[in-house]
Amino acid sequence: MSAHTQQDNIQYLYEGDQSKLYSGVLSHHSDVNSDESKGQVKLIWKIFWFLLVITLIEVVMGMKFSHLMPRGIANFLFLVLTLVKAGYIVKVFMHLGDEVKGFITTVLIPLVLFVWFIIAFLADGSFWLRMNDESPARHNSAIHQVTHE
Amino acid sequence: MSQTTVVTTAPEPKLWAGGRSPFNVSYGKMMIWFFLLSDALTFGALLIAYGTTRFFSSVWPDANEVFKSFPFMGEHNLPLVFVSLMTFILIMSSVTMVLAVHAGHYGDKKNVAKWLLWTIIGGICFLSCQAWEWTHLHGECNGLWGSFTDINTPVSQFRHFFGEHSLSYVDAHPLVAMQSTHNFFNYFFTITGFHGGHVTSGVIFNILILVNTVNGVYERKGHYEMVEKIGLYWHFVDLVWVFVFTCFYLL
Repeated sequence: MSAHTQQDNIQYLYEGDQSKLYSGVLSHHSDVNSDESKGQVKLIWKIFWFLLVITLIEVVMGMKFSHLMPRGIANFLFLVLTLVKAGYIVKVFMHLGDEVKGFITTVLIPLVLFVWFIIAFLADGSFWLRMNDESPARHNSAIHQVTHE
Repeated sequence: MSQTTVVTTAPEPKLWAGGRSPFNVSYGKMMIWFFLLSDALTFGALLIAYGTTRFFSSVWPDANEVFKSFPFMGEHNLPLVFVSLMTFILIMSSVTMVLAVHAGHYGDKKNVAKWLLWTIIGGICFLSCQAWEWTHLHGECNGLWGSFTDINTPVSQFRHFFGEHSLSYVDAHPLVAMQSTHNFFNYFFTITGFHGGHVTSGVIFNILILVNTVNGVYERKGHYEMVEKIGLYWHFVDLVWVFVFTCFYLL
């Protein structure tokens, strides 16, 4: 392709000094005391408080309320809060939000596998439980004879 | 369409035509992301295996009953408080890490060293908490890999791990409950152990880059990309803890 014209450059970039490729988004700063820098630090602390508050909500819910509400709703709330926390850690602390769009999707798409894994395996688990409970073998098993001694 | 807008400024080569990084990241940084992705799949596999076992168990130990102790507090009824402290320590160390990465972007050597030091301290505090928790669970609850396998174990040894609503089931089927207790501790020690191993190696990496920072290695290189890469690893470890915390202590 047309890249032949720039071959020397490519060799230099890919086999030479990797720092030439060091993220353009994040590295071209100079002044720590600039407003931009202070704004970034402020955002970091804001996210910290946000994560702390979510964790506190989770803990208080876990200690006091999760037994009072239906288990399904409590678990759903816990999972939503967890995903929100995870999202902010990845986006702000890991700076994934600052990368180019193609890279973000490259990292995130394989995680879609988890949707399938979780649904498939948990369904399998509950199927086995039902099968065990309804199995005649279970009700006559040696386990139960020991149990009632 | 987006290409036509880009072309207005300069005759830039196409994104994937070579000559530049289409993802605008260096090789090392992209590879640490892909490593973390594969590590996420490993942790995911462990947590999903835990979930599957839990789903096919009729009863399961209640986190509020198992994790209710706090060091040096004689009254043993503080559910989730200790693990909340651990979570707080890890989030805090994540913040100090991101501040170190931030200082690195500006080439601020002194602050990189300062925040890395705090991150290392946070990591060591977390590991100490985990050491206490493991010791406590093993010493006072007799839990460890492969514990609760003897069918002659009296119910009283594991009955207190279960919530009130499942006690009647536990009394009626003690062996089923014992099997659940066995599975619970196996998964708990495996998953928190694997996570603790990550924290340990993260602390070691942090110590190495702190030494390099203080010695001016990155200053001579002209950038602190290594701090950023180790930072990604450290945040990932925090991220995994967010899920371990939810799966073991909340759900």
